[in-house]
Amino acid sequence: MTWETVIGIETHVQLSTKTKLFSRASTTFGQNPNTNVNLIDCGLPGVLPSVNKEAFYKAIRFGLAIGAKINQTSIFDRKNYFYPDLPKGYQITQMDLPIVLGGSVEIKTKEGTKIINVTRAHLEEDAGKSIHDEFDGYSAIDLNRAGTPLLEIVSEPEISNAKEAVAYMKALHQLVTFLDISDGKMSQGSLRCDANVSIKKKGETKLGTRTEIKNINSFKFIEKAINFEINRQIKELENANSITQETRLYDSMKDETRPMRSKEFANDYRYFPEPDLLPVVISDKELKKIKETFPELPKEKLNRYVDEYKIPDNDAKILSSSKSLADFFEVSLENVEDKGLLAKFLVGDISSLLNKELIEINESNLTPENISKLINLISDGTISGKIAKVILDKTWKKGSKPEEIIEKEGLTQISDDKEIKKIIEQILKENSNQVKAYLAGKEKLFGFFVGQVMKLTQGKANPKTVNSILKEKLKK
Amino acid sequence: MDKKTVTTICYLARLKIDKEKAQKIENDLEAIIELISKLQNIDTSNVEPLYNPLEKTALKHNDVIDSDNRKEKFLDNAPSSNEDYFLVPRVME
Repeated sequence: MTWETVIGIETHVQLSTKTKLFSRASTTFGQNPNTNVNLIDCGLPGVLPSVNKEAFYKAIRFGLAIGAKINQTSIFDRKNYFYPDLPKGYQITQMDLPIVLGGSVEIKTKEGTKIINVTRAHLEEDAGKSIHDEFDGYSAIDLNRAGTPLLEIVSEPEISNAKEAVAYMKALHQLVTFLDISDGKMSQGSLRCDANVSIKKKGETKLGTRTEIKNINSFKFIEKAINFEINRQIKELENANSITQETRLYDSMKDETRPMRSKEFANDYRYFPEPDLLPVVISDKELKKIKETFPELPKEKLNRYVDEYKIPDNDAKILSSSKSLADFFEVSLENVEDKGLLAKFLVGDISSLLNKELIEINESNLTPENISKLINLISDGTISGKIAKVILDKTWKKGSKPEEIIEKEGLTQISDDKEIKKIIEQILKENSNQVKAYLAGKEKLFGFFVGQVMKLTQGKANPKTVNSILKEKLKK
Repeated sequence: MDKKTVTTICYLARLKIDKEKAQKIENDLEAIIELISKLQNIDTSNVEPLYNPLEKTALKHNDVIDSDNRKEKFLDNAPSSNEDYFLVPRVME
């Protein structure tokens, strides 16, 4: 039997505002527990929420970027449920009139590009954090995250496999970081998703029963969790069992999904218009200002890098695909003459280090100051490209300054003609057989001599000087 | 309105009610729904939904932090807490 998979994804994006959606408490990550909490976040009776202007502006920016309709009047609704990390007993969210309606996201996989339509994107408050395993018999609650603005982006069920799901999440990640509406740090929960997965017989128009995999927070786990779930559902149906509509959790240690403990009763959120908040209106003037201050997106960056800095197309493409890399490039290049070399270094050596550790450049020890200094040291001939790699390795590990590493390790390039001449003469003397062979026409040996010089100088000889002196010496 | 619905509603609202009262609540809710359901007879197909009876719109606050740390006070007021956290009966998923 051939099966088809249907996936819809709900993505929660933490918006990078300084304050919460309904209060002016700080949203800074990693603070001591329960310090970023005020009367509103803790759900004390008698307090009134107010809405965060910036959260709306960021949500609108997303809407405009995906070609959606912006509801200039939007309202909040109350979603009722009891859970300790939600102190009010309800979550304030948008149901009837979300800020963003429709739009679409383009994804790229090996099979080509595909458009995934977005149903809606709405603002809501995040819950606090529960810790279940540290205190005997208790769950501990930290309300620092309670009230942090979330943009929930709901896709149409148009995703056909795990690879497309990953591509969709990557596209959203790129979008929200370039729009500067979220830091996109998945390890900190700034971008997480729930995947609704169902399967049906090929050609069948009726959708199968779906399950929802909750709270997946890495690209790798999205793919694994969905693939596990697809295979599980196929097995169930092929054994003539039925699929239960339920919420499941992905366990990355065991690489499996399993049902969350079922509630005694089905949830009934009893949504109704939030009486504590008036409709939120975005004026034409506000909308115009958001459009005018729209940040540069990857395609525009790519063109600018090629036109303005003469960066080769391929390098520019890689630089402009990641917000953190593009930011790093743009800060570094202010102090760098040879912008092409900077680009090449970022795309080559630095990117491979980043890929090896699967981190973004802003999570590494590298700083634009150190890298621009390093590039300038190569350009002015102080160090060779080879030494630059040694220095990169050290600044990568400890964040130390290139000039300090050079001084400490004595890595300055030897450009002194006399000194290099002396070394070359010594090498030619020690390798008289190779010299003979070279002079007899075995010109490939030139590289051998260069290699010997580099070996003797530990890579510190200026390659240009070495080449020209060698050529001259070997003529005679 | 029947007993089961009343039980469900009370559970969702985390209300404990004794059995004698359940019948009275059932009757009361029945009467309320009957009264309200008169509204269903009105044709509202051309009426915009009213989201709020006040004809005003929300004030939006600027994204500037204005909050002091009242952790100790909050934790002191909780039924159960330690130096860092609110403690609640264990919930597991």
